[in-house]
Amino acid sequence: MDILYSFGNGLLVALEPANLLYCFVGVFLGTFIGVLPGIGSMAAISMILPLTFYLEPTSALVMIAGVYYGAEYGGSIASILMNIPGTPSSSITCIDGYPMARDGRAGIALFASAIASFGGGIMGMIVMAILAPALAQLALNFGPTEYFAVILLGLVAASAVSNGSPIKGIAMVAAGLMFGTVGVDITTGAERFTMGVPELRDGVHLVIVAMGLFGVGELIVSIRANAKGEHDNEIDYANFYPSKAEWKAMVAPIFRGSGIGSFFGALPGTGQTVASAVAYAIEKKVSPNRAKFGKGAIEGVAVPEAANNSATQTAFIPTLTLGVPGSASMALVIGALMMYGIVPGPRLLVDHADLFWGLVASFLIGNVLLLILNIPLIGLWVKLLKIPYRYMYPTIIVLICVGVYSLNNNVFDVWLTLVFGWAGYLMRLFRFEPAPFLIGFVLGPMMEEQLRRAMLLSRGDATVFLTRPISGTLIVITALLLVYAFYSAMRQRRAGQNSPSTPEA
Amino acid sequence: MKHLLALGAASLLFAAPAYADPGKWTDEPVRIVVTFPPGGTSDLIARVLAQYFESEFGQKAVVDNRPGAGGTVSADFVADQDPDGTTLILGNNAPFTIAPTQFEDLPYDPMGDFTHIAYLGASTPALFVQPSSGITSLEGYIERANTDGITYGSSGVGSITHILGQAVDVSLGIEQIHVPYQGSAPAIQDFRAGVLEAYYDMVALNGDLITEGETQPIALASPERSPLFPEIPTFRELGHDIVIENWTGVSGPAGMDPEMVQTIHDTIEAIMQMEPVIEQLAKFGIAHTEMSSEEFTSFVDGTITTWAPLIKAANVNGG
Repeated sequence: MDILYSFGNGLLVALEPANLLYCFVGVFLGTFIGVLPGIGSMAAISMILPLTFYLEPTSALVMIAGVYYGAEYGGSIASILMNIPGTPSSSITCIDGYPMARDGRAGIALFASAIASFGGGIMGMIVMAILAPALAQLALNFGPTEYFAVILLGLVAASAVSNGSPIKGIAMVAAGLMFGTVGVDITTGAERFTMGVPELRDGVHLVIVAMGLFGVGELIVSIRANAKGEHDNEIDYANFYPSKAEWKAMVAPIFRGSGIGSFFGALPGTGQTVASAVAYAIEKKVSPNRAKFGKGAIEGVAVPEAANNSATQTAFIPTLTLGVPGSASMALVIGALMMYGIVPGPRLLVDHADLFWGLVASFLIGNVLLLILNIPLIGLWVKLLKIPYRYMYPTIIVLICVGVYSLNNNVFDVWLTLVFGWAGYLMRLFRFEPAPFLIGFVLGPMMEEQLRRAMLLSRGDATVFLTRPISGTLIVITALLLVYAFYSAMRQRRAGQNSPSTPEA
Repeated sequence: MKHLLALGAASLLFAAPAYADPGKWTDEPVRIVVTFPPGGTSDLIARVLAQYFESEFGQKAVVDNRPGAGGTVSADFVADQDPDGTTLILGNNAPFTIAPTQFEDLPYDPMGDFTHIAYLGASTPALFVQPSSGITSLEGYIERANTDGITYGSSGVGSITHILGQAVDVSLGIEQIHVPYQGSAPAIQDFRAGVLEAYYDMVALNGDLITEGETQPIALASPERSPLFPEIPTFRELGHDIVIENWTGVSGPAGMDPEMVQTIHDTIEAIMQMEPVIEQLAKFGIAHTEMSSEEFTSFVDGTITTWAPLIKAANVNGG
């Protein structure tokens, strides 16, 4: 009952004209940017971040969240129409979405994606409304010791559960940790790796790393991949409403996808890409229609979209209630809140209940808005993709430069972004994922700060991490996760050794 | 007309403290560089100044936030600008008082590279303890520190609250355990979770917590009691000469025309006397005291000398 009451209050906050407006602006902008190939919610949020400094914290958060899940939705549009994932997490949607579009069923695929996103978003919201207060209650006892333990868990989870080579994943996390140490040491004031550059004393700004690695890096890759420069897209507007059979086929996958997505979203460090990949993999095993997967199955569009959108909503749980960003975009959300002096963490739910419930309620409104907005706007999104890349890419680069410059009004940051852009391009070239790097970069400094603070407070007694119940439990879970990761890696290696001898069936 | 101007200028030269009419001093828009990101106290003060420069004196002005490296990025930038009155900095203790001692390779000279124009005011930090600790006086605090030890939160290494903690250590002859945070908000969060035993922070920003009984102020680092919180004693009246205030003022690049400096000073002075401005600043716990440009310059110089031993003792560059 309490939840319903709080949610009702939140709905009133979310329905305030200003918040409603920023929610709309957010989802609109998010969809718009999500549609652009290679530019995901991360870049979208960093672009609007400077704008939000001038808003009320609730409006700002509602808008950022809107951009976040709007971009997640928009990302699927480019995946379906052009086989280019607008956001990394919608790359799974390409697998069945693009064949559907080639079949002349682009409209149906876009519609299915919209409905699945909506279902996933609503499910994620419900999970957040029910679980977040419980998590926050537990988290009221969180001090530096517990924070350290939970961040450690997030870091291990992030490196254990990443797609691609685990060794490369761990290498990237480690590289991220190292870059995170640049700047004045928070505990002693010593300068580390600043090379006498005053701009580096505060460390490298997260937005710079993210914009460089993701925005600029993806752009360079896209330019190479699309050297021809233009795409032709024919879309059948008349037919975008799924048949009765298609509706029926979608319902169960949407529920399954939402459940899996909610789980992975709430787990710090995994995020939507893992969520949609896992959901797709499981659906491929359990679906009665599994033979058609990869050839234009509507379930293959619905599942990853439901999963990545519910993950988008539940990603806010660890972010807001623990202060641990589940993804790079969430790290930006934390940064934005810090600008207002709001510290995301256990006490956010108590100290800023309006903000939290306003946000939860805005998910409902935002998802409805997205649905209303996107179905009639499908035509516009397609036209946007027809802008020749020679106009679009320079525009995006300019936007990124402006966004980065506006952080500190400092040109140094723009150059640094371009450096990270090239680094991001090289990483992709050699199949290193930038995501684990970013997670290490974000979590490393936080972990170090809390560790040293906990040690100061315990007067140098390291056993506190094991003797305090919450941190002790978390450390044990982390250890188990590590053991499991090693175990499964060993099994994979053994399976890999066996495979050459067993010929393909 | 020319003669009149010359006469005016001449009479200005003879008038001994120089006086100029407040008013606009350049046709170009003025940029007020702020060392913090938008939204903080410093930023809001700059915006108040910019607003009144334009509305009362027709002097266009914009706020330019250039945060980074404890304000040294801003100061370095301003030091390199033309001294034509179009670039000013809302300075404070971080780049001008603390940084010169903290950083060995500072790219600017806090005195030689700047024209210090007008002092605005200062806010005061205080020592806060847990209400449940039973400590209500400085004696009780000293006793607790000597028996069980005290952990205190500051808003960062080399921040004014850390320097104050250091000054308290030296003056009271105790050794508190310093736990640095990034800004005062997370420190207060840990304090409220019962993790920290004490913290230092600007008293005006803790008004709500004080009235709700969530925190217990022990002593104030200002020369006199605060009009906002008259019940809090000062360190000085408790027998410990600790005065550490978070000052703020307006400066420009070195080599500005003295007459223009006087105009800017007097314009700021006129704004600081306005009722709505006084009220606004009172909310930040800042009371304005008038200083001439010369007085302000020697004030800045004085803070560098008096704080230097504390900053060195606090070992803020990790060395």
